This record gives sequence, C-alpha cells and structure tokens, in this order.
Amino acid sequence: MSTTAAMSGAEPREVESRDVSVTVFADRNAAYYGSVFERLQKGELPFWHMNVAGLLIPWVWSAWRGVWLIFWISLALDMVGLVCLMQNFKYGPLLADAHLDPSANAILIERYTRWLSVYNNVGIATLILGRLLIGLQANRWYFKQYSKWRIAVRTAHGVQARRVVIAALILALVAPITLYRSTQQRIDERACFNQVRAIDGTRRLQSRYGVTEVSDLTSALADRRDRLVTERATLEASASLTDDQKGRLGEIRREERQLRREIDAVEDYKAVSAKDRFDCLFIDDFPTLARIDPPADVTYRRVPDEEAIAQGRRGATKVITQVKDPVEGRTVNIFTYTAESIDIGINFLRAQYAGIFDAMTNVLRQSLIRVEVAFMLTPWPVLVGLAMILAWAYCGTGTVVFVGASLTFLAVFELWQIAMQTMALVVVATAICIFVGLPVGIWMAKNRVANWITEPILDVMQTIPSLSYLVPAVAFFGISQPPAVLATVVFAIPPMVKLTALGIRQVPQSTKEAALAFGASERQLLTKVELPMAVPSIMAGLNQTIMLALSMATISAFIGAEGLGAIVTAALGDAQAGKGLLAGIAIALVAMVIDRILKGIRSSLSRI
Amino acid sequence: MSVVEVDGVWKVFGDKAADAIAAIRNEGLGKAEVLDRFGAIIGVKNASFTVEEGEIFCLMGLSGSGKSTLVRHINRLIEPTTGTIRILGEDIGAMTPEVLRALRAEKIGMVFQNMALLPHRSVRDNIGFALELRGKDAYHRAQLADHALETVSLHGYGDRLPSELSGGMQQRVGLARALAADPEILLMDEPFSALDPLIRRNLQDEFLGLSQNLRKTTVFITHDLDEAIRMGDRIGIMNDGEIVQIGTAEDIVTAPADDYVADFVAGISRLKLVSASKIMVAVEKHVARHGPIDDARDYPAARPEDDLDTLVELSTGTELPVLIRHDGNTVGIVTKDTLLHGLQGTEAP
Repeated sequence: MSTTAAMSGAEPREVESRDVSVTVFADRNAAYYGSVFERLQKGELPFWHMNVAGLLIPWVWSAWRGVWLIFWISLALDMVGLVCLMQNFKYGPLLADAHLDPSANAILIERYTRWLSVYNNVGIATLILGRLLIGLQANRWYFKQYSKWRIAVRTAHGVQARRVVIAALILALVAPITLYRSTQQRIDERACFNQVRAIDGTRRLQSRYGVTEVSDLTSALADRRDRLVTERATLEASASLTDDQKGRLGEIRREERQLRREIDAVEDYKAVSAKDRFDCLFIDDFPTLARIDPPADVTYRRVPDEEAIAQGRRGATKVITQVKDPVEGRTVNIFTYTAESIDIGINFLRAQYAGIFDAMTNVLRQSLIRVEVAFMLTPWPVLVGLAMILAWAYCGTGTVVFVGASLTFLAVFELWQIAMQTMALVVVATAICIFVGLPVGIWMAKNRVANWITEPILDVMQTIPSLSYLVPAVAFFGISQPPAVLATVVFAIPPMVKLTALGIRQVPQSTKEAALAFGASERQLLTKVELPMAVPSIMAGLNQTIMLALSMATISAFIGAEGLGAIVTAALGDAQAGKGLLAGIAIALVAMVIDRILKGIRSSLSRI
Repeated sequence: MSVVEVDGVWKVFGDKAADAIAAIRNEGLGKAEVLDRFGAIIGVKNASFTVEEGEIFCLMGLSGSGKSTLVRHINRLIEPTTGTIRILGEDIGAMTPEVLRALRAEKIGMVFQNMALLPHRSVRDNIGFALELRGKDAYHRAQLADHALETVSLHGYGDRLPSELSGGMQQRVGLARALAADPEILLMDEPFSALDPLIRRNLQDEFLGLSQNLRKTTVFITHDLDEAIRMGDRIGIMNDGEIVQIGTAEDIVTAPADDYVADFVAGISRLKLVSASKIMVAVEKHVARHGPIDDARDYPAARPEDDLDTLVELSTGTELPVLIRHDGNTVGIVTKDTLLHGLQGTEAP
C-alpha cells in the first residue's frame, strides 16, 4: 500500500527550525540577524532601526554579505555626493583667478560662488541622507535576500572575503577616474585630434630624418631652417636674379613654409604632457582616433564596347574602371573608410549587373503601370460601389457610412486619381510582399536555421530608418516609381513573414500528429492543415503589411513615388501646412478604409 | 498470424541511446542513473506483445509510464530505437514513406485524447480527411463519412464545425474519423479520459457494442484500470516504460505479477472479474472438513466460469454451499466462507 500512502500526503513534512537557517544564511553575527529578522517578521522593528555597518561602511558590509543591490546603490549615492564636492577643485582655482581682479570679474565671482555653494550643499546632503537610507534599509533588504535564499539556495549567502576583493576592484576601477574627471574642465574637442596629429607627424619626421630623440629632431629641423634662411638671404641680397634663381627662391619659400609646419608639429608634440595624453585616452570621448589610408578612388562605368560592336554584336557594352590618384596625405577614420568602400561596391554592382537591375526596374515599372491604369481607368462609381458592397457584406452599417464618408472626402478634395496612384503602388508592393513573404514565412516556421538567419534580417528591415536605404535604392534603380516599390516592400514585408511563421508554428502539435497518423505527407500537412489553420494569422500579417505600405507612401515620394505622398513631400518643401495635412488625412482615410474592410473579411473567415 | 506484433521495442530519447540501452541490459541501470550517465530518457523499455484479430488490447499505466509513446510506435509516428513492429505480418520499420502513409491511411485508424479535429473543416470533412489524403473523390468521401457518422450515432451533424459540438460528440467524430476508411486496426490513445464520467461510460458501452459488430483489432490506451477491465480482452500494465504484466483482467486481479500491479488492483471489485474456478475448494478437502455431501438435498449449482456475482446470488437464501459442476461432475465447492474470502482477495484458511 506504499503508493496510496505517499499519495495521501498525510505524513508531516520535516521543517527545519528557522534559527538554523538564519545561522547558515548569515554565518557571522547570526544571533543579531536572527533576532532582527524575527522582529521584522512580527512587525516589531521600529522604522529607525539602523544597521551601523550599513551606515558607516556600506560598501564593505554589503560586499562581504553579498547584498550587491546595496553595494551598487551605496556606491552610486556616495559617488554622486563626492562628485559634487569635487567641484571645489574645479571651480576653486577659477574663483581664485577671478579674485585677482575682483572689479572686472564681479559676474564670474558671483556665479562661481553660487555654483560652489549649491554643489557643496547637495554633495553633503547626498552623502548624509544616502548613508542614512542605506543604514535604515540594510537589514530589510538583507531579509529580502534571506527570503529569496530560502527559495533559491544559490542566492548569495554567508560571508566571503572574495566578494570584498571584487568590490574593492570595482571601486578601484570606478571611483578614482570618476572623481578625477569631475575635477577637470571639459576638454577642447579638437585638442585630442590635434594631439594625435602631432604625435603621428613627429613620428613620421623622426623616421624621415633618421633620428630617435625629439631633441635631435628639433636641432635637425633648426639646422635646415638656418640653411634655408641663409640661402634665401643670399639670393634676396643679389640685385638681379636669373630665372633659375627665381625658381629656386620660390622653392625655398615653399620649403620654409613646410618646415614651419613641421616645427610647429614638433613643438605641439613637445607640449603634450602625460596628463594631456591620459585625459584624451580615458576621460574624454572613446579613443578611436585611428587614421588609415582611404580606399582607392575607383569609378566603374559601363560604356559601349566598340570592339564587340565592330565584330557585329549590336549594343554590346563593357565595364571600364577609372582610378583617380589618391589625395596626398589624406587619411580617414574607419567610418569614412567603410562608407567609401560601400559606395565603391554599390558603384561596381550597378555597373557590372546593370542588365539585371534594368530588367527588374522594367518589370516593376510595367506592372505598376498596368495596375495604375486598372485603378485610374476603372470608373469611379465602380470602385466606390465595390468598396461599399464589401463593407456592407463583411462589416456593419457603421463601416459602410465611414467608407462612404472617406471616399466622399477624396472626391470632394479632388484627390481621387492621386489616391488611385497611391493604391497602385500599395497593391504592387503588397503583392510582392505576399509572393515573397509567404514562402519565406513557411520556410522560417519549418526550419530552425532559416529562422536563425531570417529573424535578425527582419528586425533590421523593420528598424533601419527608411531614408538610409532609399539612397542605395536610388543608386541601383534610379529615381522613379520602381525603387519606391522596393523600399516599400523592404519596410512592409516583415509582418507578413513573421505572422505567417507564427501562424504555422501555432498549429497544435497534436493536430499535426493526427494528420500524420491518417497518412498525410509533409506537403499535405502544409496545405491541408497548417496553412488553413494559419489563415487568421496570415490575414493579420497582410493587414499590417498594407498599413505599413501606405505609411511608406510619403517617404517613398522622396525618390519619385507618385500619389498622395508626393503632395505631402511637396508641401513639406514649400512649407504649405494645409496641403500637407489634407493629403496626410487622405492617406490615413485610405488606410482605415482598407483596414476596416479587411478586418471584416478576417472576422468572417475566423467564424468558419 | 497476429495483426499487431511488437517485438523487443526500446525507445530511448537522447544522443547516446544505444549506449544507454546496452548499459541497461548489462548493468540493469535505473531511470535516474541512465539520465545521469547518458543524458537519456527511457520512453519504452523492451516492450513485446501481440494483438490478435478482433481483440481489444488495453495498455494501462499512469501518466509518464510510456503507454502513449508505445502506441505511437505501432503506426511509426515514433521510430523505435531498436526492436521490430509488424502489422499484418509486415515489418513497418522497413517501409518506404509512401507505403507507410498508405498503411496509416488505409489500415490504421487513430483516436486521440484531445480529439485533434481540424477546426476549420466541417465534421464531414474531418471524417473524410484520411480518404481525402488518399485522393478519394468528394462524392464517395461524403458517403463514407455520413456512413461513419451514422455508426457513431451522430447522423445529421456532418455540416457542423467541431467547435459547435460538445466534448463527447467531438470524440464521436474522432472515432468516426478513425472508422471512416474502414481500417483493420484502431489505436485509441486515452480516447475517453477527457470526458466526464457519465459520458465516458456511455461512450465505453457504445464502443463495446460497436466493436462487437465491427470486430476491429484495437489497441486501447488508458490510465484507468476500471476502464481497462471493462474494455480490454487482455490488459498490459506498464510502469516506467516497461510492460510488467500482460493477461486477462482476471489473471491480473487474481495473480498480480508484482507489488506495483498488486497496488493497482487492490481497490478493484472482484464481483464480476473472478470466476468460481479460481476460489472453489476441491470436493475431498470439503468433505474432510465438513462431512459428506448429502445428495438428497437441493444444493445450488454453478459452472466454473461463473463469476462471484452469480455465486453470491445463488448462496443467498440457503444454508448450503454451492456446487461447481462441469460436464455433470462436481469439480469443486464454494461455501460462504470461501466466497467471502474470494471477494476480499484473501486465501481461505
């Protein structure tokens, strides 16, 4: 009968007595914490109850006991207080300087004195109140940790010297440099850049003159200058100069200018103190001052291939490469280097695969024109009637009224034809989204690797600012409707893919199993079970895709999309608020009409 | 030839399944040790059984005992780690995917605990699902589906959606779906567990009635011993992935193989299970203790296969013991003492 006895659960559970667990948890000074915790649980702990160690040495106490929350809070509070007090070292010297001439600096003296008194008051208040807060809360937080430890045994407990060492390391890393920073003025923006340039320049000079010591370099430069000055003086002294001598004089002057720059650089270098270098490396901006040679300035162009044409191949073209000479001494940072490389890459792709891009542009343009013609040539009563009938069939009377009102708005403000242009763009973009997004979504749902690849790409597509990929779109496809369609697809496709994948993944495992048990193949499973069951989710994705495509209308107008967005863009350029608002409202109304009707269709589908 | 033959099937989940099986065989490792050493989980441990034509074979065990895993081997929804399964004499492990799909669609019907109906299809289309997968045309599909609906007494519900039906009705649809293609084998994975007791009982009765007519070979999974005894011609009891005992309900109740089974059957009423032959006392022993049988008196008589319920009925209202007669001979005697001990499941002194 052992099973039944165990199931009844009647036997009493062994419960460790509370004191034992507090002893294990607190380790040192367990008696004190035992009584504190007991009083806390009974609600007898007065609000002024204070942990003296928490008040006086909160960093050590909290680290030793592993209450890291208190460690970080006390560290932050103390740092804020100390940073305020440190302002004395920053403004003190300035104030002293100002006092040298009190009458001229009355405003400065008044300002620095006020700032210092505010900083001192805030600093002292933060230190005192912060410590009081920690001292008052220390034992309560410690009790929370105790409660947590009773549930999760791996919670920090007991006392450990190792933790104090870690805390000391953190302090050593954080405190000195922060406090030092707060005593310093803001460093001049160019100072660090100039510093790097002076160091680089001096290094180059050292290698050119073959000297290692800077003092040797200075004397070498001075020697050379002296020689040039003497030579120039001699030449200038003579009454008449030959052409050669005139040329030489100009040369000397150029050399002298160059030399002066070099001497300046070395002087700058000598002026750089260890403190300056430290400041630039650690307390200013992140020190990414690396300078590298820019990528070769290459242009790729596709030109008619005369040779091939001569041989009878009409319209043959080839890619020619033009390399420009690099600008002497130009170095760039990594950002510029990469950006220029990308430009060159785009340029290359555009020239190399011109045929493909032109073909894509053409297909897009032709399909756009067809759809646009369909929308614009269909008599308005037909389209209006269709929208109203759909609204009536799938949605309530309210929607019918709303659709009617919205369409009237378009008609009254003479935006109908323009709205139809926008619709054409949205329809083409949405069609591409469906044809690409649906298979990708299915693939993503079925294949873990695909999911792993696609997910970040989709996230980037959703978050990258549209304006930043409009430029490459223009580079590849020129300024016109087709790149606008592609930009819209990039922006609008993620929900289609994601919700398709979600819908398929949401099909219960048991349903799929049942289908397999009745002999379904993978393809039948997809077409007869997974896709039909994913339809509501896919419809939601479609809805979102259409909404996003409409919201891209304005942005894609920047690169030549026609329609309502173009009015908004133009209004922005001409600062015509009214025009822009009306067109914007028209876009919103079109979006809402489509959304309402689709929602109606969706809900009638989900009733099935 | 048995319809279903399961021979030495192991299912061990984990990368080092083969090593784990070897270790279990050679060293007799337990569940926890296997998980520790190989990171492997035992699903089914060396299961072997056969199901004859028209028989209802119950696999009974608590949740986690591996019964659902085992039944999914029969239509190869789960591949065994080792071991063979033969359906109608054919090794299904060697089947190509195409042949296997045909077998699933035509020879094996399955009913699931959570019904697993397709919510977007009407009841009729759900039932015709297997037929549709085999490419049967819509007309015949509808006819067969309606026939199956009639079989489970849901006539006229073909055009409803599953969500419009109650749980019990949904499970009837599940059963109809399994029967629609007229398969030879039915796999029932806890079909009635999710239903309330009254409906469960109804469906059990109905299924018993059905299977008497249809004579489908059935593997029936349940965690409820009462249900196993009601439904099963034979019962296999599973514990920790192992089949610990196979036998008729009476075998299991009167001679449990181990403590685990004994614990299970302890609360089961023996009235309808145990037959007179299991408890009767030999005539000589009775005579030695109580004196000779007086042929003049009107002793109540029963057959050896009559159950205790019948014996109780016979012995009330008379002082005399019941004679157990077979082919005109008295083969044993049941006194009231013997009967009471038999009901309790204890040995008579």
